[in-house]
Amino acid sequence: TAVISPQDPTLLIGSSLLATCSVHGDPPGATAEGLYWTLNGRRLPPELSRVLNASTLALALANLNGSRQQSGDNLVCHARDGSILAGSCLYVGLPPEKPVNISCWSKNMKDLTCRWTPGAHGETFLHTNYSLKYKLRWYGQDNTCEEYHTVGPYSCHIPKDLALFTPYEIWVEATNRLGSARSDVLTLDILDVVTTDPPPDVHVSRVGGLEDQLSVRWVSPPALKDFLFQAKYQIRYRVEDSVDWKVVDDVSNQTSCRLAGLKPGTVYFVQVRCNPFGIYGSKKAGIWSEWSHPTAASTPRSGGACEPRGGEPSSGPVRRELKQFLGWLKKHAYCSNLSFRLYDQWRAWMQKSHKTRNQDEGILPSGRRGTTRGPAR
Amino acid sequence: LPPPAHLCLLTLLLPLLSSAAPISPAESISQAYSLALYMQKNTSMLLQTYLQYQGSPFSDPGFSAPELQLSSLPPATAFFKTWRTLDDGERLSLAQGAFLALTQHLQLVRDDQSDLNPGSPILLAQLGTARLRAQGLLGNMATIMTALGLPMLPEEDTLGLVAFGASAFERKCRGYVVTREYGHWTDRAVRDLALLKAKYPA
Repeated sequence: TAVISPQDPTLLIGSSLLATCSVHGDPPGATAEGLYWTLNGRRLPPELSRVLNASTLALALANLNGSRQQSGDNLVCHARDGSILAGSCLYVGLPPEKPVNISCWSKNMKDLTCRWTPGAHGETFLHTNYSLKYKLRWYGQDNTCEEYHTVGPYSCHIPKDLALFTPYEIWVEATNRLGSARSDVLTLDILDVVTTDPPPDVHVSRVGGLEDQLSVRWVSPPALKDFLFQAKYQIRYRVEDSVDWKVVDDVSNQTSCRLAGLKPGTVYFVQVRCNPFGIYGSKKAGIWSEWSHPTAASTPRSGGACEPRGGEPSSGPVRRELKQFLGWLKKHAYCSNLSFRLYDQWRAWMQKSHKTRNQDEGILPSGRRGTTRGPAR
Repeated sequence: LPPPAHLCLLTLLLPLLSSAAPISPAESISQAYSLALYMQKNTSMLLQTYLQYQGSPFSDPGFSAPELQLSSLPPATAFFKTWRTLDDGERLSLAQGAFLALTQHLQLVRDDQSDLNPGSPILLAQLGTARLRAQGLLGNMATIMTALGLPMLPEEDTLGLVAFGASAFERKCRGYVVTREYGHWTDRAVRDLALLKAKYPA
């Protein structure tokens, strides 16, 4: 047998190492003759080795690279026939850097999830342990978060026992074999970082026969219904085959909205998200929820069954031009009530009054005469 | 006896018979044999997975270091003649002793690896599963002993002081020997149980 010294050393990248392999015992008369070193399976050049005495082989390594695996680099002393006599695991790396960019959010004021980034240079080559700590600013002892990796490798979840209306101090400690580092302290009040579930029951439906509009309806997230807040919503929508979303901002405290200026006969995907703004009088905006599951709906196709009821068969070019005019008017004038519906109502009214006018003149399909009321000519 | 009374008697006797009579040797041997066969399918994967996580030279293709041994694990290989002429009791108690040691060593290796390779859930899960299966086989073999009316092996600590104070490299080597011997002993259990299966046919 043999023994290598040192066992499991921890070293800074670029440092040197002097190691020895000492044989003893069986087979009796074993010597350092013929022994050789390998590091991570690769035989080391003989000029790095030196026979110190009959039973000891020395090794001088310089400018060590970072460890290839977290379990340590394998430095092995082999007998002449290649068999393994002894080994030592080398841990070469860097101390951890200060973790940065801590961000936290609370789901419905019930818990706290925090995320952070390891220090700037990342790779320490050594296993680094992260510990998220928190305490109430004004008193109390340090607490340690226990549920790690909930939203990625550098995250932790605190599930309960969180106080509201009082600031917390939160920080992350990184430790490895070469040292430790602590992030800056983040101070926050749970109420300032509240997020919630996406609005449930998002329904998107057509607006009668209107080809360029869809109506979006949703329910405010139930988890926060008992707490006073002015919810803000955002809607985003895109055409089925596109990746470009259009966003409707500033939807405040309402649970429905109409999308206009859409393409007819097109399938749209719509999502809604919620921000529990100013919860319990917090001065800050909350954190946007996830987007709701996409809801799809299609706008009516022009010239199809969704043609507005007007009685007369459509005359294509006139209607098309009229539609364009109405669209233009809507954009450039504040006449939000303009629509085909209104035009068709006008036509229906004109038809009725036309009929009565015809009656007035006595020109009736059945040829009947009669007195009528109607607009004076 | 008139037929209804016949049946009546049988139904009264059956529960008594089934609770008093032990499981037959053939049945328990067959069960253990099936389990050993099933275990055999995964033993080389466990060894390969283990080696991957230890780095070179362990993770080099075709790595083999027969010179590495653990005195706390009984060797699986035996001279054929000796093995063939073991009596049932010796055969089973050797296997039991080995799998008892293996369950304890697999636990040790799993603890070592959760320290050496934290954040390797696949390896840790495979080590856990192997230990559970070895434990299962131990249970099956105890059932066979009972069925054959043989004395049970007392459970003892096979690790002793060997577990403590090992260096990282020693622990890596130790895990290799354990996962290697787990494979060897599973192969041997398959042969042992095949022999017994032939001797106690269903």
